[in-house]
Amino acid sequence: MRILRFMLPLVLVASASFAVAADAPKKATSIDELAKMFDSTGCKECHPEIYAQWEKSHHARPFMGVAGGMMLTPVVTASAFKVDKPEQATLKTFPCFKCHLPQALRWAEDSVAQELAAALMANPQDKAKVAKLQITCLVCHSERAIVHRLKDGNPEPGVIYGSKEGAHDSTTHPKLKKSVILKQAIFCGQCHGTGPNFEFEYPIQCAVLYGSYQNSYLPGGGQKSCQECHMAKTKEGVPDHLIAPNFDDKEATAALLAKSIHLTVDTLGYQWLRKANTYTPKIVVNTKITHDAGHRIPDG
Amino acid sequence: MVVTAKTKDGKEVGSIEKNYHPQGSTCRDEKMAYGAQNKSSYIRDTSLQPFETKAESLEFILPVDDKGAPTIRTVDVTVELIYEIQNPDNKFTITKVTREVTLDR
Repeated sequence: MRILRFMLPLVLVASASFAVAADAPKKATSIDELAKMFDSTGCKECHPEIYAQWEKSHHARPFMGVAGGMMLTPVVTASAFKVDKPEQATLKTFPCFKCHLPQALRWAEDSVAQELAAALMANPQDKAKVAKLQITCLVCHSERAIVHRLKDGNPEPGVIYGSKEGAHDSTTHPKLKKSVILKQAIFCGQCHGTGPNFEFEYPIQCAVLYGSYQNSYLPGGGQKSCQECHMAKTKEGVPDHLIAPNFDDKEATAALLAKSIHLTVDTLGYQWLRKANTYTPKIVVNTKITHDAGHRIPDG
Repeated sequence: MVVTAKTKDGKEVGSIEKNYHPQGSTCRDEKMAYGAQNKSSYIRDTSLQPFETKAESLEFILPVDDKGAPTIRTVDVTVELIYEIQNPDNKFTITKVTREVTLDR
């Protein structure tokens, strides 16, 4: 009896631990698992225009670079973060995940990094596998929808964060909640950079659009958000989820840049006189370039 | 930006290139670097900034004969604004302006 009384509390504690472990969300151990966790193909049925715009965007291919380039190859093979074998890869050897695959930071095990390293180091590279890793609807409208987590907590499962509150016609995400940052530049600033990332063992610096926005555009008197320019409503009446430019579409990118960059040219032909009877004939070309963007050009 | 002056029969008198972009480095040596995994900070920034005018005044000196008289008096000047993506071979023109410029009045 005495032994049983002594053992009972231990058994109860163990059961409680298992209960907690069973309820805790499980991290993805493979690329397929991570892709499935954030699969947003279900959004297409009710939001076809937005989905079609997103499919052409760089958010749909964050690791494919421009023209299908495998931008992570030099990271894993030649940089300070390189590994000799895929098995040595971890989430820490892919600092790029911070912005290019933010969902991995909370929801992926190191085995996802190992599988990605293997795909990059293979010959030929497994592009199809790398392409599965995307910044999907659920990344922006759930995982990254809250920045003030000390006040608002983490994004809740089953909730889509947007501009409205209420019911959502979805079996997997039946609730809508408002994200206070969704239409503000800080939302984009989570990934589009302010400067060197000193939190890594080797500081890296990718795009710093948000830094340029804060430190040049705002002090110059600018007041628009990223979304106002890059997600204006399309003719279908929805915010443009292409979030231009799409650098693979050179024609559209050239048109966008031509619309926002302004060049004036003035010319003069004359003969300069340095000293008596010594003329130097010159053609002078004066150029002035201005633009309407809310950040430096180029940047990303 | 590439500014070129050519004679009427297409002979190049001169060409000047100006590059506008932020320039990053590992900050471990004096060299510029590409790739986020290599760049630790910018060390120079010639890119087009919000609310700023990027102004250039470029000159082409025309050739003269042994008496100091110009042998070319009229050129076609082309100013081409080009966007390069990742490497100089992947580029497209944003805008292009051509003017005839002459010493003659």
